[in-house]
Amino acid sequence: MSDSRDMTIVPLPATIMGRKAMTADTALYRLILENSEKDRFDFNPGQFIQLSVPSGGEVPITLAGPPLLQNSFELCVRRVGHVTEMLHHLLPPDRVWVRGPFGNGFPLREWTGRNILLIAGGLGIAPLRSLLYTLLMHRGDFGEITLMYGARETSAILFKDELVELSGRRDMHLFLTVDFAKEESLGGLTCNTGLLPTLLKGVNFSSTGTVAAVCGPPALYKCLLEELQELGIPAELIYLSLERRMKCGIGLCCHCAVGDLFCCSDGPVFRYSQLKGISGAI
Amino acid sequence: MTRNLLKHDSISDFLEILATWGKLHGPVLTDDGVTAFRPLGPGIDLLLDYNRTLVPPKKYLLPPRDAVLFFAPNEGYRQPAAAVPETILVGLHPCDLQGIAYLDKAFMGDRIDPLYRARRTALTLIGLSCEPDEYCFCDDLSVTETHGCDLFMRRSPDGFHLRSNTPKGKAILDSLTPILAEGEPLPADSRTCDMAAEIRQASDRGETFGESELWGEFAGLCLSCGACSLCCPTCYCFDIREYGALNGETAMRLREWDNCLFKDHGEVAGGFNFRKNRQERFQYRFQHKYLGFGPTRGIVSCVGCGRCRVVCPVGIDLLELFKEIEDER
Repeated sequence: MSDSRDMTIVPLPATIMGRKAMTADTALYRLILENSEKDRFDFNPGQFIQLSVPSGGEVPITLAGPPLLQNSFELCVRRVGHVTEMLHHLLPPDRVWVRGPFGNGFPLREWTGRNILLIAGGLGIAPLRSLLYTLLMHRGDFGEITLMYGARETSAILFKDELVELSGRRDMHLFLTVDFAKEESLGGLTCNTGLLPTLLKGVNFSSTGTVAAVCGPPALYKCLLEELQELGIPAELIYLSLERRMKCGIGLCCHCAVGDLFCCSDGPVFRYSQLKGISGAI
Repeated sequence: MTRNLLKHDSISDFLEILATWGKLHGPVLTDDGVTAFRPLGPGIDLLLDYNRTLVPPKKYLLPPRDAVLFFAPNEGYRQPAAAVPETILVGLHPCDLQGIAYLDKAFMGDRIDPLYRARRTALTLIGLSCEPDEYCFCDDLSVTETHGCDLFMRRSPDGFHLRSNTPKGKAILDSLTPILAEGEPLPADSRTCDMAAEIRQASDRGETFGESELWGEFAGLCLSCGACSLCCPTCYCFDIREYGALNGETAMRLREWDNCLFKDHGEVAGGFNFRKNRQERFQYRFQHKYLGFGPTRGIVSCVGCGRCRVVCPVGIDLLELFKEIEDER
């Protein structure tokens, strides 16, 4: 492959196929690579891309949908900086540019036969949504699947329609909680009040042979990790997807080091046992 | 006896012949009194006896601001045409050669950076022996003298003994033969430094000095000016910025020198900062310099040039960490 077609170096054009507003500042985008017969876009859940909006620049965004979605892919983007601000002004069929995918993703092959506990806080639902749909696509390969999802308030819960559907499935468990709100019914969804660690304590699930995948803000990790270990999930089986500002995505720019690991090329998914003892990791 | 001796009175002929191989650059004393790598030419004196330049030669491979991509609506993003002129960099000390060898590992290792490679391929390195001053702590020089450059000039009482290490160096040496005198080939210089040995051992044990009280002292003094990284021959971390043109359509993406001592280095979207305080940023720099991460994991990238110790406006010296350990013994 010549440099000019190397998708890790030169961004390729992608068309916005769909945009769905999720909350006031967050939307789900569905993109398709142009000329995609040549560049079949495949990835592992947990990987990320670098999204370019011309004149704005580039930002790392996690892949939020299942892989091989007819060669398109989904991104759940919150408007928090100047590039994402520019993205939020675009509509189908506008164009953006994409490099990637980058990073390792979740090691699904190692999880065969295990129970899987997914814990998402806030926008951390994005990579775990990709993971969840991939697990459900290969449902028979795994044991119990549980998703616990916490948001600040009911209006900040992302993917509400999908959560309603998921809550009706008999082959997985879904628990929702919000930090601040009265317990209320939410369009067919039952939602608890309180923080995720409290929810975790109150829910019965089998922790034997269970793998936990966690993604959320740093504050979530701090209180949740001890709790998970107390419930019997060892640090080697707790997987975290870390956030850093990866500028290059290929282990060069040196912005995203965690100890001697790079979040972009060694991660962004790490076992908690890899991160223990690294100051500033979480 | 071989013809490898460049006598002092042949230096101008030497430079004239070198200039036929490419644009000549070397250390000069600038009008503002700074030692710097600059283009050489008539009336500009090459310094063959100098301590160190302020800015290391990394600027030839990684310019402070470098256009990596251009955007136009009908063309998308494309890389700049890489037309790099042949450049001969003469008068590099072994520490700077070692710095370039390290950058080669980072940018031309498993993953090749096309811009870096274009510049590196067009660069001929001519090394020069040196005498350490009180700021230097470089390690054994023989490796860089024999592998790290195309041609090496070792000072002797009669002039400079030249040694070629690469086919390019050999071709240049051959072209210089008419102006060279006969001299004994000298064995590669070997110099040992206790400080460098101490650093290597500490790195091998993965020493982070996590408990040291010096971190707090450093953080209290540091002005976050970033001079230590800027003048470091192996600090290469970069930011990527995009600049839209006034026509509102085209844009240019630049790779710019960044600095891990700056506050925004560890910041993520929304303002959360993983290295909010100076101590965390210092420790990040230490990790990169002495322990490495990613593809450079396990490689000490401090080459002992002493620049950071010279330029720090408040006299911070990371070597005190290593000295503290030594003192405890």
